[in-house]
Amino acid sequence: MKAERKTPLVLSILTISFLILAATFLTDIWGKSAQLPEIPPVDPSFTKTATARVSAEELYRTKGDTSMLECYGCHEQGKELTLKFDEDHNVILPDEHDDIIMAHGTHNRNNNCFNCHDEHNLEVLQTRDGRTVKIQDGHDLCGSCHGPTYRDWLAGIHGRTSGFWNVSMGEKHRETCTACHDPHQPKFLPRKPAPGPNPLRPVEVKHSEGKAH
Amino acid sequence: MSCSSNSPNSGGCGGGGCGSGSGGHEHGMDRRSFLRTSSVAVAGVAALAASLAPLRDLTDVGTAEQFFQKHYKKLTPEDMEKVLARITREVEKQYEVRPHVRDYKAMDGVEFVYALNLTRCIGCRKCVHACVAENNQSRNPEIQYIRVLKMPHGSMDPEKGDHNYTSELVPEKGSFYMPVQCQQCVNPPCVKVCPVKATWQESDGITVIDYDWCIGCRYCEAACPYFARRFNFTKPSIPKDQINPNMSYLGNRPRPQGVVEKCHFCIQRTRAGKYPACMEVCPTGARKFGNILDPDSEVSHILKTKRVFIQLKEEVGTSPRFFYYFDV
Repeated sequence: MKAERKTPLVLSILTISFLILAATFLTDIWGKSAQLPEIPPVDPSFTKTATARVSAEELYRTKGDTSMLECYGCHEQGKELTLKFDEDHNVILPDEHDDIIMAHGTHNRNNNCFNCHDEHNLEVLQTRDGRTVKIQDGHDLCGSCHGPTYRDWLAGIHGRTSGFWNVSMGEKHRETCTACHDPHQPKFLPRKPAPGPNPLRPVEVKHSEGKAH
Repeated sequence: MSCSSNSPNSGGCGGGGCGSGSGGHEHGMDRRSFLRTSSVAVAGVAALAASLAPLRDLTDVGTAEQFFQKHYKKLTPEDMEKVLARITREVEKQYEVRPHVRDYKAMDGVEFVYALNLTRCIGCRKCVHACVAENNQSRNPEIQYIRVLKMPHGSMDPEKGDHNYTSELVPEKGSFYMPVQCQQCVNPPCVKVCPVKATWQESDGITVIDYDWCIGCRYCEAACPYFARRFNFTKPSIPKDQINPNMSYLGNRPRPQGVVEKCHFCIQRTRAGKYPACMEVCPTGARKFGNILDPDSEVSHILKTKRVFIQLKEEVGTSPRFFYYFDV
């Protein structure tokens, strides 16, 4: 008898609690969960694998436009060139070459075009020990001064590599020095970093200990 | 016999009025009580259904085929073909891209090792985003396998690193940058804690995850000392035009909601002989990758000739296959 009376009571209590629950869900009494902030898509340049520059080696290999490497389109063959320097011993570049920034080496120690270019044949390079190097073989010239880096580059551990690590399955592609370094200004310039992880909340300015001040 | 003697009584009761509960008719029910009970029952069921309304938001339930799929290691080649066909179908339906899904196996005589040159890294975070694009990670909420720590000079303590740096230009003076991703440990704690063996170490050193076997308990995430693992709290959202169709089962196929994922050394590239995406995009050549069992590989050369400073947190005994080194 007792159980019979209890059953409808329990059922009604359950029904009422379900109804309350349903009402709260339908009216969103607790509110919806917070919407995620929009995360702007990342600039596609950050996922590009292209090198910083196009090297002479790549231009010749891909049969690109090498007209700017033909010095005697403008220069007169056989005519001796003299460099002009200002009072700080900086080489004065003519207007035709004003795209060049002379910043190779510290303390102006490498401030002479003919340290690398051959003054007798402008279309080739020369090393300090008197070898002549084709412009597309620039790494031989770079290596004549930068020994340890050249050694690492030859071993494949300096500079960029792409393609296949397993050479039996495909070709490994090594970049040459000037694909990344501008020979007149070889140091990497600071660049804008890609966005960091979205913090999903306002960012507190954090002063990291390493900041130089 | 007793039944027949009772029948006149029960017949009389059927007219109504005995539903008040008295009397010996325990199984009888009159119209009023029937209506009451049934209306309460209908209201109860309706209320229950309405109270389950939040389930409407449940997406990505998965198919029976996926539910009954066996563990990766128990799949026969025929089973695997069916599984890959199912994944192809699902990806095509969802992203309108025909993917090329494969199950790349580890190669013999290969053990992958990563080496990262801390002298060269400039903290540009290109690797982070190349990885996201290659491995079909969720864009919102963001899932990224690589964290680039900006570290003060003079310390190797990752606790001092900041991965939220918002510098205008990098590198900044007085800082160096240390990207951290899955270290592919020789002794991986994440594998030990997995209660269902959904993650394990393969013969080429890559610790992989079977996303269809993972139950999402996140023990591995807690066990990892490198913050390498990420959990899909929601269904990953990837723009259709940004899907990488070159997929592998244990690698970059789109993950379901509620599973853990992490860096797998771009299994779909490296097991096909290629370099990983983070390495190819690095503008400074700070990242090097290869087969440590090949004495002529780049990584062998680095470990032999360079100042290799750490395995990160080497004191915890995980023995990473990811080495940080310096030039000179």
